[in-house]
Amino acid sequence: MAETSEYNIGTQELPLMGKVNAIPEKAVEEYFTSGHRTCQGCESALIMRLMAKAAGPRSIILGSTGCMYVANTTYYSTPWVVPWMHTQLGSSGSAATGTAAALRALMRKGKMKEEPINVIAFCGDGGGIDMGVSSISAALMHAKYNLAIICYDNESYANTDIQISGASPWGANTTFTPPGKKFRIMHDCWKKNIAAMYAVGHTRCNYVATADASYPADLIDKVRKALAVKGPAFVHTLDPCPKGWDYDPFYSHKLGELAVETGLFPLWEMTDGALTYTGISARQVYGKRGRKPVREYLETQGRFHHFEEEDYEYFQSEVDKMWDDWMVPGVIPFKVNNPSKK
Amino acid sequence: MSVISFEVIYRGIFQKSLAVKISRTLILAAVKEGKPGISFGRYSDSPERNGIPAKQFGYIADNEEELETVAAQYEPKQVDISICVDDTLCKGVESWAWYGLQPINAVTKPGGTLIVTSNQKEDELVQHIHRRDTPYKLAIIPGEASFAGLWVYKDDGTDARCLAAALKAEPTMCSIASLESAIRENIGSETHIEAAREVYEDLRPVEIEPGQGNDEVPFTFELLKWHEMRQGVVIDGVGGHEGFRGGEGGYEPGRNPYFKKWSTRTMRPVVSFDKCTKCTLCWVACPDTCFDVTPDGFFDANMEACCGCGVCEAICPVKDCITMVNEVVFEERDSQWQMWQENKEDYDKYMDEKISVGKIEGRHPITGLGQAFSGIGIEMGHNPETAQVKSLQDLK
Repeated sequence: MAETSEYNIGTQELPLMGKVNAIPEKAVEEYFTSGHRTCQGCESALIMRLMAKAAGPRSIILGSTGCMYVANTTYYSTPWVVPWMHTQLGSSGSAATGTAAALRALMRKGKMKEEPINVIAFCGDGGGIDMGVSSISAALMHAKYNLAIICYDNESYANTDIQISGASPWGANTTFTPPGKKFRIMHDCWKKNIAAMYAVGHTRCNYVATADASYPADLIDKVRKALAVKGPAFVHTLDPCPKGWDYDPFYSHKLGELAVETGLFPLWEMTDGALTYTGISARQVYGKRGRKPVREYLETQGRFHHFEEEDYEYFQSEVDKMWDDWMVPGVIPFKVNNPSKK
Repeated sequence: MSVISFEVIYRGIFQKSLAVKISRTLILAAVKEGKPGISFGRYSDSPERNGIPAKQFGYIADNEEELETVAAQYEPKQVDISICVDDTLCKGVESWAWYGLQPINAVTKPGGTLIVTSNQKEDELVQHIHRRDTPYKLAIIPGEASFAGLWVYKDDGTDARCLAAALKAEPTMCSIASLESAIRENIGSETHIEAAREVYEDLRPVEIEPGQGNDEVPFTFELLKWHEMRQGVVIDGVGGHEGFRGGEGGYEPGRNPYFKKWSTRTMRPVVSFDKCTKCTLCWVACPDTCFDVTPDGFFDANMEACCGCGVCEAICPVKDCITMVNEVVFEERDSQWQMWQENKEDYDKYMDEKISVGKIEGRHPITGLGQAFSGIGIEMGHNPETAQVKSLQDLK
């Protein structure tokens, strides 16, 4: 292979949690603390807290516009303990690349102590699934920069008043898609399969995962793996949002569990091209555990309250397809037409 | 000039549809009599957050010129009527755009009326409301706070009852006939009108004298001026975690020194430390980093940070270990673990008493926050088109 600039001082060694009750022992310190203005029961704020906990003190966090920018750092106050900077809605990828490249250059030139520093850029579903796709795609191309991008997905532009995004599920009520008298379903797109898209499309990106704050040890471990891997990594989290989904915040944790239990949001990680299902999703894919009817998940949210029987059935049939028809269940939606080799 | 101004103080998002409905319908009732008006949300409350206090305002004027004069303001500095649709807000309004704890009666004019939906009596409620130098009237619409919802509007009659109370407070706004007609057009059934009439007849505002009420000084802080800010609007991060309550052992994170959740919650967790198995789940799952780790490994909810979502109760695997209790039954913000350490028997008594009075029960994801938000007693369907009030008798 031709010579290229291979300078990479490596990444931090971060021990994995394994079990939830190991968290206080291994990571009691908080780096995203109280004093933010998010909703009651905000799972995205919990993602921030667990993400910062996983990353630890020697980290730089970059946040693109969204709830986790606006609700956390207004009026000259902040809940962040570690350095944090705001970046534009679509530029979490560029901000991460730029920061990682700057640290690398400063260390290579001896202008800064050589030390692995975690660079995390987070974005909402608007930033990571709609507007920021090109910048994240570019960031995942560059194997020499150590960075992680975390997309906290609450399935709408909840910050600006719940407009539809590329991550909004089929049929959901948003300010752009209120159910009408003539057409009950005003949002007829299926949610973008973003983590798999980044994983499949960036063959040099060594770590892509999906996670959910209802499984906190799994989430922390995935963030730690994303930071430990050399080069860029991407983590997609699903965050129940009492504001946009219209439910009692008491159920935030429960809805996160239901999204996985119904098979709607499979948990997996891709390391160096190898896919591993984690937690309940692993048991589901090997048939050791069934999937709950997706109706249980949909019925508990006001945004699906206009659903009728046929809508529940359609939604279930689409989830079933993900598991029964896809080449890689719940992840890659192809069927191979060519006959197999003899 | 006779402009009547009002505000509706509500919990963001889940009472938004309710507040908008009250504010709008009141304006539409006045418009019926040729009085122009305008209803609008507080600019600084948007984007709204679930449960975080927010406000709607309205002006009713005699003519267009008057309306234009007052509507040119950013928001009313004083209002004739303040309508509060959740009595836990009487402890103070911590708006989304944070500038300290604002008393619930902060912009009610001297002699104006504060209307609250509550199950408490006037003398109980006034204990929470910050005292002030000028008199005002307090009127209670009996009933629980309404979990009205956003996409799914659970109409329990709170809208019509608040409208009637507002008209009683300022009878010059419009006639009862115009209000009834506006309710019929914008809210619906005859049951609403009956409910409104009942409130109009029964409402008895009480005079609150200067100096009466909660003597606590509301939390304030100084914001930096633009010329005092550093280059690039750099601010200091939160620092300085320490042991539990500053002592040896345990872990208490540093907290944002400016934004405290003194009154953001509608309920708070009460922890039975005798039952706790230290499973860590409440601490892990709290989005507000509210639990401090005690020296002996328990988790103590810190009332500086709790916003009352109830996730800790939902996740706790031990029966009756964490119980969410209505915030109205508390005066204090003391550490429960310290109370338990000092005297376990006394703490158990305290805990049992609070739970027996204010336990939040009967939860359902969409129909509401259990008892605290079960509405003011009438049940309706979720779909506004098919919504039916069960019985007016239930209103009482």
